[in-house]
Amino acid sequence: MKKINDLENLSKKYRRDLFEKFLMIKQGHPGSIFSMMDIVVALYHGGFVRFDKKKNQFLDKVLISKGHATAALYPILRDFGVLPMEEWNNWGNKESLLRVFGNISIPGIDITSGSLGHCIGAGAGMAINYKYSNQDKKVFVIISEGELYEGSTWEALLFAKHNKLDNLTIIIDINSLIILGKTSECLNLDPIKDKIEGLGIKTLDVDGHSLNDLISSFESIKKSKDLNCILARTIKGKGSSIMENKKNWHYWNPMNEKEIKKTREELA
Amino acid sequence: MFQRDAFIQEVTNRLEKDKSIFFLSADFGAPALDILREKFPKNFIHCGISEQAMLDIASGLALEGNKVFVYAMSPFLSLRSIEQAKCGAGLMNLPVCVISVGVGLGYADAGPTHYSTEDFACFRAIVGTSVYTPSDIITTRLIANEMLNEPRFSYIRLDRDALPNISPETTVADYKKGYKIFGNANATKIILISHGKMLHKCLKLFKKEPNRFCCVDIFRSKPFPNDLSKAISSCKGIVVVDEQSPSGNLSSCIFEGFSDQNYFPKIVSKCLPERYVFENGGRDYLLNKFQLSINDIIAASKKII
Repeated sequence: MKKINDLENLSKKYRRDLFEKFLMIKQGHPGSIFSMMDIVVALYHGGFVRFDKKKNQFLDKVLISKGHATAALYPILRDFGVLPMEEWNNWGNKESLLRVFGNISIPGIDITSGSLGHCIGAGAGMAINYKYSNQDKKVFVIISEGELYEGSTWEALLFAKHNKLDNLTIIIDINSLIILGKTSECLNLDPIKDKIEGLGIKTLDVDGHSLNDLISSFESIKKSKDLNCILARTIKGKGSSIMENKKNWHYWNPMNEKEIKKTREELA
Repeated sequence: MFQRDAFIQEVTNRLEKDKSIFFLSADFGAPALDILREKFPKNFIHCGISEQAMLDIASGLALEGNKVFVYAMSPFLSLRSIEQAKCGAGLMNLPVCVISVGVGLGYADAGPTHYSTEDFACFRAIVGTSVYTPSDIITTRLIANEMLNEPRFSYIRLDRDALPNISPETTVADYKKGYKIFGNANATKIILISHGKMLHKCLKLFKKEPNRFCCVDIFRSKPFPNDLSKAISSCKGIVVVDEQSPSGNLSSCIFEGFSDQNYFPKIVSKCLPERYVFENGGRDYLLNKFQLSINDIIAASKKII
């Protein structure tokens, strides 16, 4: 596993890489991607998503239920060599394989997502299959806080808990914003921890931008015998003062030269 | 025997040698399912009364190479979870077979929440689905075996009632075509096209007046049978009978299918009205009330001059 400092640098680099892409393609969801960047860096580069070098593929599954942020995985998959560099370079062209929302035709992407509230169920389906067939494989599902509004999320949580899916980990990216504003003002979700724990699910509350905390949390649940949920407290648009905690940066917004320069400096 | 038991029996038989089959239920049962659950507990998953999650769970299982059957009462399995069906089995082209029980006014004693009178239009609209509506258990077993042999995203519409076997029975050769013709189509004949329960009314009419009518059981409506237009193109006209609401029902399917085949016959649609049905009286009473009796079908056929 890389050192924490190296992981932090990778997170910055990926935000920077993605920012340059967004600038070029003039679309994307930087706020949501930057908020979960540290989570996926910890998962992949922390070694929790195991990689088979010989087969050039991951042993474990990562489902990005907040499909608008799937692009957070692209530079990681590129660096592992799962996603060919030419595909990364081609992103933005008409014939590009990569797009804002991921799908299973993209190497390393384990599910087609975009509509919210689907992936805990799908992840539970995968996890129960691995349990029944005695396969040592894990499933990580990253959902947005906003997906807690979807009924199917709770249906699937009940199912996963009942079936003691200890090979399934649910990570909730809590950046406290949805498209129209703060979740606390739009339709309050708090106390999220009490609600999830109320289902009997072991729940950890962590700083979603602390690689140290994230690594410790993933490490602590490695040998768990039950379903686990991690509440990752994050900042929408993390890393860019122009984007941070701004609801409008859910989507890409045009930037002037001064803003571009500032963002580049902050992400450097 | 009920269609659901026949279908589940075929799945159970296959489970003896194929453990990659998963059967999921949203708290919907059948005597045959009790046997499956007892014999193969690891291949049966109770998803709770959670049709949406069931479809997502099915996607996860299917993404791992399993053959997945999801099973529930038609109105809840079809419309409540339709977006899950689209985003899972649809978008990812997964082998999920959706077994929908109680189509049409099958749950007549329950009322409109339990009627499934829009499911055909909705599921047919999802890209990549195959849609089947058997009229008896022989066809039901053939469909089950096809889904076990060549699993794919499919929507199987089973009747709640125990329907009699049609005669002569559907053969493997008929099955491959996706439809079965009763009688000979010619310029003097009106073709009655239907599926499921309503086919039996059409068959009664055909048997009563074989010189006037010819009957088609279109148990596979999607993909649309590619030679059906050729088989009946000499007919006088067509009455399509379906226990569905007016928009997007079997008559739309017939029109679109024939249109693709450059065949534009006179088509009369006989279906339920554009309103929800709150009346009591049982299924047959309601079908008669809403002009889906044999006499109403005869009257409709007279519109074709």
